[in-house]
Amino acid sequence: MFYIILYLTKIFNLLIKTLRMGAGYTWPGHVALTLYPTLFSSTKLRFPKGIVFISGTNGKTTTAKLLTHFLNANGLKVTHNKTGANLVNGIASAILLDMNWRGNLTSDACVFEIDEFTLPFILQKFCPDFLLLLNLSRDQLDRYGEVDIIFDRWQDAFSHLPQKTVVLADSDQELFKQLGGNVIYFNSDSALLKKTRLHGTFNAKNVNAAFKVAKLLNLDLAKVEQSLTTFEVAYGRGELIKYGEQRFQVFLAKNPASFNHNLDIITAGNVVPEALLFVLNDNIPDGRDVSWIYDIDAKKLYEACKDKTIFVSGTRAQDMAIRLKYAGVSVDTANIFTNLKNALTRIPQLEVVVLPNYSAMLEVRKLLLGRSIL
Amino acid sequence: MKLTIGYFYADLLNLYGDNGNVEILTARARSRGFDVAVCHIDQSTALTPELMQSINLVFMGGGPDSGQKLMYEDLINNKGSYLKDYINRGGVGLYVCGSYQLLGHYYKSADGSNLQGLGAFDLFTRHFGNKKPRCIGNVVATLCEQILADPVFKSVNKIGDTLVGFENHGGRTYLNKTLTPFAKVITGHGNNSEDGTEGVFYKNSIGTYFHGPILARNPHIADFLIAKALNEDTLKELDDGLILSAHIASKNLKQ
Repeated sequence: MFYIILYLTKIFNLLIKTLRMGAGYTWPGHVALTLYPTLFSSTKLRFPKGIVFISGTNGKTTTAKLLTHFLNANGLKVTHNKTGANLVNGIASAILLDMNWRGNLTSDACVFEIDEFTLPFILQKFCPDFLLLLNLSRDQLDRYGEVDIIFDRWQDAFSHLPQKTVVLADSDQELFKQLGGNVIYFNSDSALLKKTRLHGTFNAKNVNAAFKVAKLLNLDLAKVEQSLTTFEVAYGRGELIKYGEQRFQVFLAKNPASFNHNLDIITAGNVVPEALLFVLNDNIPDGRDVSWIYDIDAKKLYEACKDKTIFVSGTRAQDMAIRLKYAGVSVDTANIFTNLKNALTRIPQLEVVVLPNYSAMLEVRKLLLGRSIL
Repeated sequence: MKLTIGYFYADLLNLYGDNGNVEILTARARSRGFDVAVCHIDQSTALTPELMQSINLVFMGGGPDSGQKLMYEDLINNKGSYLKDYINRGGVGLYVCGSYQLLGHYYKSADGSNLQGLGAFDLFTRHFGNKKPRCIGNVVATLCEQILADPVFKSVNKIGDTLVGFENHGGRTYLNKTLTPFAKVITGHGNNSEDGTEGVFYKNSIGTYFHGPILARNPHIADFLIAKALNEDTLKELDDGLILSAHIASKNLKQ
């Protein structure tokens, strides 16, 4: 049975990629787990250097990519859900796709970013050596519920973790102070951040968190530091996309915390765009409720928009434009496009920063790069 | 004239962008040249009759359970009598979700325990636990006759007789028959997903489950509250073309 699902997953993934139907990380895993539900407890899941899980509301993809980069810089092979498919299916796919045709893993370590809601489910079946907790803030209340509820579920799951699991957590997070047991707390490190192409306080923490795990994994830290300069940002997370003469820099802004953080990066002058494009969708992966845009700091919104031409798009473009208006930002009605393609083709400015929520980010990439994910 | 908004428990009752309601009221009143002051009232505020007299619009939102636990005792013991008196005197107010529930007689949890409310509104709320799903989704409703017939509302209303928004609540609220629901649900759950009612309209107070925040796409309600609070018969018209078109588009959103 194991080999059947292994081959099915690989073929399924190839088909999806060939037919350009997506990154091929979600459905193959779904099929695999349906046919072979004990995958996560299989003895084939061996990573001699260590198993690392990364969870939290914001920064998962960037931090997981950083740590993978550090491991690679040390000559180690890593199994990593790099497409950001961070539910049970995505993790199953990442594992199966990294196996050779004999069903063996050749990776030294694995680094998985895991959705904060899914984390307790995964921990029931699959235990990490290192569990890195970045932050918890409001995100998709209509799907996930309040932050307290997620944290209670985490606490429940963590109480069953074996001794060997080392937990690392952000020291600024009030909730994380309630974590029992041995927790290694981390904070930001701006010296490390400066060596990368990343910006902002969140990333100063992400870099430091990944660095701390690298240290615990006994990596050669000189090589790790050296590799910071060659780190390429994760897709849609500060990614620069050249499109003809234009340069679009895309900063995923999917909840109030990540939105405010990105606005800070703009206001601080880390990026200097002539135009800002806000894209707000209400598709299933985004949550249907867009009320959270009023939790974005109005002053930050105003400051970041100052002296820039503002464009708004997405299925809920009008709602976003109204939010901007109430923050004191003037939006020309002619610059509001429900259709994203129209918005992208009508922007004359050469330097553009795009602030999309999740499905909007994928659409922006699809239109500018021809592919949504990798 | 000065609009003084009494914003209750801004830090604890602040789910779903409800603070946007205060931002919107402030912006719309200022656009008409009115002075606006936001008076924050929380656990550390010692309410006095003078302070309550100075307030002409109250806003109170909903919060996570942890937030509601922290403000509950203070509301019942220290602020309750002032607020109830304010509502009964015809003070203008908007109460969303959690605070709307707390202004009723009681909130009965799934485990049978009862949380006493202020009893300002003749209604109660029950949570059925896992037996009934949460009421989540986009909502469209028709405003009640009482509001539609109000001369002030008629004069400020440039939107129509509908209300659009988003709801997300586990509790189900039941109104005494003598009480006027704020609106009648067209699509969505409203108070309890059974009787088609949404919210309550009592004297000059509105209790509602609408988020969005409610005033973002319902400027007619925002202006109604402002005009009532300032005792104005009408308000200068604002350029709400964009909001009107968002309001209309909202009627076609999937529930």
